Order: sequence, then structure tokens, then C-alpha cells
Amino acid sequence: MRNIARELRVPIHVSESFDARVMDAVRALPPHRRTTLWSRLTTPRTRTVRVSPLWWGLAAAGIGVLAALGAIDAYSDVNQAAQPLVAALSAPQKAERPERVQFVLVAPEAKKVAVVGDFNGWDSRHAQYQAQHRGGGVWSVTAAVPVGHHRYSFVVDDSVWVADPYAPRVVDSDYGVANSALVVEHQQ
Amino acid sequence: MTRYVPLVSIALTLSVLATPALRVAAAQDARLAERLDKVTLGAVNAIVDSARAAKLPTAPLVDRALEGAARGSDGDRIVNAVHQLSLRMRAARGVFGPSASADEIKAAAAALDAGVGQRDLARLHSAAGRRPATMPLAVLTDLVGRGVPVPTAAEVVLQLTRARTSDSELAMFQRNVRGDIDRGADPSVAATTRARGLVARSVPAKPLE
Repeated sequence: MRNIARELRVPIHVSESFDARVMDAVRALPPHRRTTLWSRLTTPRTRTVRVSPLWWGLAAAGIGVLAALGAIDAYSDVNQAAQPLVAALSAPQKAERPERVQFVLVAPEAKKVAVVGDFNGWDSRHAQYQAQHRGGGVWSVTAAVPVGHHRYSFVVDDSVWVADPYAPRVVDSDYGVANSALVVEHQQ
Repeated sequence: MTRYVPLVSIALTLSVLATPALRVAAAQDARLAERLDKVTLGAVNAIVDSARAAKLPTAPLVDRALEGAARGSDGDRIVNAVHQLSLRMRAARGVFGPSASADEIKAAAAALDAGVGQRDLARLHSAAGRRPATMPLAVLTDLVGRGVPVPTAAEVVLQLTRARTSDSELAMFQRNVRGDIDRGADPSVAATTRARGLVARSVPAKPLE
């Protein structure tokens, strides 16, 4: 041990040209390649990570909380979806498949008639709900409508809203204009 | 300890953990953002979120806002319409219970808007039993909208429902009453007369002795 300590205490003499030789070697290295964001993200690199057990615990707790929040969110969705299911158990079985419904309006003066309702987002430009003139002022379109209770109306010439005179009427105290009701049932 | 830490995997992990937040954002209907101004959109989304938290169907509220936008209504009117519908749906769900379908809640909300009381809704729901009350509610709303007084309309539809009148028969009844009214009949008389005929038909005749 004494011999080792004695050797370690001997001062080391470095050549005066040592620094110059090191710098020459550094300059001789190839230029550093430019990195892009993608290469930074995808190029494997080695990192030394020192994490105390406390941080591991905190990270696990955080992931657990986030997972629980996700589970709660998923549960609420499932619960909402379950409500019609509960009703379906006590009611005739409903199919998700839409049913074909014919809409007819007699409007001899109209240039264009479209059907709007909660089944097409009240969009009068929806291609599947544009009525065709069948002659004699009769306009009609047959379109797929989901099973269930719907409200709808006709839009004549892109401006005049007309409730279906032959369908059940829905009073509307909020917008002030009545709509028509449609109950689509699953066809056997 | 040496670990290989690809940043892509970190990004993927974060995106998976952020899924609930992304799902909430996706739950907000993109059509609303296209058709409503920012202030109206914020108010409507707040009502929709509140309804979702109360386990109410949210699609009717979105549809209500879309309808207002399609009609060219201003933002205040749209927000008020959506808010009023959410209140009516809460009331309807309170009457029909948590097992009510979205269609029944929508139809009951429309009946409430027409002036039908919650007591009448409860009687109708009770009379319907296990059958969905959607069609009776639609007919009731129609009768009130055509001028039949609420007590008369409620009593007529209640009788028809108790008599197990089918939905197609109810639809035919509605058409007949509408036709009578269009030809000048008194709405109450038309409704009670047509209903009397249907109820009498649904009661089996006594066998001849």
C-alpha cells in the first residue's frame, strides 16, 4: 500500500505538445451530421437514467390515476349506451339498420324541395334527401332513416320551411315553427 | 442503470394516457363547430356536457342547435332552445325513470313543450306498461297542436293506450282526426269520436247466448 501511495504522489509530467496533439485529433474528426426532428425521434440513443424508487412510485401512481380516469370515462359511455339497451329489453327489439321512408309533399309552385330533420343534421343540401318532382306538383324522396322518434320538415326553394301536412305535428315554442314527427319502427 | 429510451415510444405512451381528454374533445360534435359562432358553441357545449353528466341523451340537444342554425336563428335563441330542451328532457326522464329510451324522452319532451303536464305523462307511461310510449306521445302532441284541449287529448290517448291500440292503429287514428279537423270538425269531438270507435273495436265482443 505504501509503495502504491508513493507512486501516486509522484507528479506526472505531460509533454508541452500534448494539448496541440489533442486539438489536431479533434479537428481531424468528420463534421457532425445535421440532425432533423424525425431523426432525433427515431434514432436509437443510449441514455443513462438514474431514478430513485420514490420517483418510480410517483410515476406508477400517476399512471394509475390516469387509467382510472379513462375507466370512469369509458364507464360513463357504456352506461349511456346501456340505457336504450335496458329499454329494448322491455320493448320490441330494435335494429340499428335504418329503414326506407318515403317523404311526399305537394307543392306545385316549388322549384326545389328537400327534407331536413334530426336524421340528416337539418342539412338541406344533404344529397340523399333531395326530393324529385314526380309531376303534377308532387315531390317525393325515399331515404334511409334510423329507427326511432324523429322531427323533420320540408324546405321549399331553400327558404320556406313547411311541416308535413299528413304527419303528426310537433309544436315548437322555442323556434316558433312547428315540425313534423316521425316514428320509424323496425320492419319485420 | 442504463435504459434505451426512444422518444417515439414516450410520445405514444403520452398519447394513450391522454385518451380520455381526446375522447371528450371528440364527443363535441364537429358539425356544431362548423355552424355556430364561438360564443354560441361554447354555451351549447356546456349544456351538452351537463346533460351527458346527468346521463341524458345528448344527440337531441345537438340536433336542436343544428336545427336553429339551419333556420338562421341567432345565437341567443339557439342557446335558449337547447337549454329549454335539456330542462324538458330532465323532467321527462324524471317521470319515465332511468330505463326510458332516448326516443321516449325526446317524445315526452315534445309533449311537455306542447303543454302536456307531467301528471298526464306519468299516467300514459303507466298505461303503456312495457310497451314504448313513443307513438302515443307523438299522437298526443299532435292532437294538442291541432287544437284538442290538453285534458281531452290526454284522456283520449290514455284510453287508446290502455286498450292496447297498436302503433299503426294510432297512426291511422291521428290521420283520421287530422282529416276531420281539416274538413272543419271540432277538434275535441273529432278526437273523442274516432277514439271511441277504436276502443270499442279493441274490446272483444261478448259471445251470443
